[in-house]
Amino acid sequence: MPGKTSPLSVALALVPVLALTAGIPFANRVEPRIFGFPFLPAYIAFWIVSTPAFMLAVYRFERRS
Amino acid sequence: MNAGIAVATIAAVLAATVGLGFYGVRRVTMDPEQFIVGGRSFGAVFLWLLLAGEIYTSFAFLGAAGWAYGRGAPAFYILCYGTVAYVLSYFLLPPIWRLGRARGLLTGPDFFVAQYGSRKLGALVALVGFVFLIPYVTLQLTGVQVLLRIAGYGAIDSLGAVAIAFGLVATFVYGTGLRGAAWASIVKDALVLIAVVFAGVALPVRFFGSPAAAVDHVLARYPHWTTLSGDASANGVTWFVSTVVLTALGFFMWPQSIAAIFSAKSEDTLRRNAIALPLYQLMFFFVYFAGFTALLVMPGLTGPDVDQSFMLVVQKYYSPWILGFVAAAGCLAGLVPASVQILAAASIVSKNVLADAFGIATTSAEQTRAARALVLVVALLAFLFWVFAKTTLVGLLLIAYNGITQLFPGVALSFAPVRPSVTGVAAGIVTGIAALAGFALAHRSVVGGINVGLVALSLNFAVTAALGYLAFRSVPVTAERFE
Repeated sequence: MPGKTSPLSVALALVPVLALTAGIPFANRVEPRIFGFPFLPAYIAFWIVSTPAFMLAVYRFERRS
Repeated sequence: MNAGIAVATIAAVLAATVGLGFYGVRRVTMDPEQFIVGGRSFGAVFLWLLLAGEIYTSFAFLGAAGWAYGRGAPAFYILCYGTVAYVLSYFLLPPIWRLGRARGLLTGPDFFVAQYGSRKLGALVALVGFVFLIPYVTLQLTGVQVLLRIAGYGAIDSLGAVAIAFGLVATFVYGTGLRGAAWASIVKDALVLIAVVFAGVALPVRFFGSPAAAVDHVLARYPHWTTLSGDASANGVTWFVSTVVLTALGFFMWPQSIAAIFSAKSEDTLRRNAIALPLYQLMFFFVYFAGFTALLVMPGLTGPDVDQSFMLVVQKYYSPWILGFVAAAGCLAGLVPASVQILAAASIVSKNVLADAFGIATTSAEQTRAARALVLVVALLAFLFWVFAKTTLVGLLLIAYNGITQLFPGVALSFAPVRPSVTGVAAGIVTGIAALAGFALAHRSVVGGINVGLVALSLNFAVTAALGYLAFRSVPVTAERFE
């Protein structure tokens, strides 16, 4: 694996992965609505949009170290 | 008349796209490296187009809407697995790319040969890739056939239409290789994006005022449509999580995905793509809105017919020009990925089975010729599969993914500090596929709510580890370690 991969970058990357796997049973509901949309798809949309931010942080972090 | 307008629109769009593909390769000489991995020269934007072009297929266009229509929340798994796969790809792809660059690798099976020093293992991996690409290519064909039938307002013989469409795509791959497909992806992605936004916004707005209002109507009629059932049923929450894990691991195991990795100009290109690609997943929300709208406007479709959901709404309520345009975008979403998949299936058999395992067609020129001949063979096999084994888009994709993910343990463990033996990896793959065959014969898609593909993958891992590390001396084999 790439030499620069550190525990911190793996931990950062794991956040969206766990949110979209282990987190699903906890987000499996209709209420509360988010902008009128049911909770489950809104939760997934939130994590899709957040994932690039987490990965960008990993990228920056690996660049620096 | 209507059918004429719609079909002429499709024909014009397809012809323009194929023309662009040929234009893109007009001054390129076709050696295997150019034909299969585009000369390893694709920068971030071109690679993005190629990866997106491979991933957003007929399944995304029709299958995802079909699931939103026929099943509801289980369709959301597509959003999750792509995103998880991109995160994984950030770490997994650069070392695969480095190995490819250092050893001049062309195909997915080449990776196994380089890591484990066994051409027989490479041939086994090539056969697995080949076999499970056939249903994937057939999925694209089924999608194209659905679209042509709808665009023909019942007047088109679908067999003939698909034969023509497929002849076109086979000629296209034969002539242009991977670079042509990447060019065609430009048109395809642009049109698909427009068509999907149209279907996901214009349809719900026309009937209900807004996408959110359409979802409200769905919930009023089907209160559980956007949540998963909690039990161990076929599409419950356990199935959802296990399917996300399974398909995310399998995502980059496809021979065409590995060819795309090798086509990258640098490993940084791959990282930047991994960061940005999740955003592309948002496109699926439009597809779901289209499926939900169809569920309210035209309820009653069942079985494989759900794949037609929103296209039937477009057919009934919009002009043949619009129908033709949307269907053309959908056809490209089937034909462009099909061309890349056919190319990958042909190249792994010509390189890793014919040349490496049997010593047939070993020179560069012979290999390009063999790969081109095999393009026609693969196209024909997928066509026959379509003729004889008709099933739903969903069914086809799950068959394909359950199979290809069985390659994951061998890829992942090749980066472990101590590698398993060749026997262990091969036995693991065979075990995983035998288990899948068993589940298929027993008509099981879940065990205790868990996707059977993940069960087979666990058995595969267990056998790979047991035979690979315990029964035989685990290996430094002949290949040197690659860091």
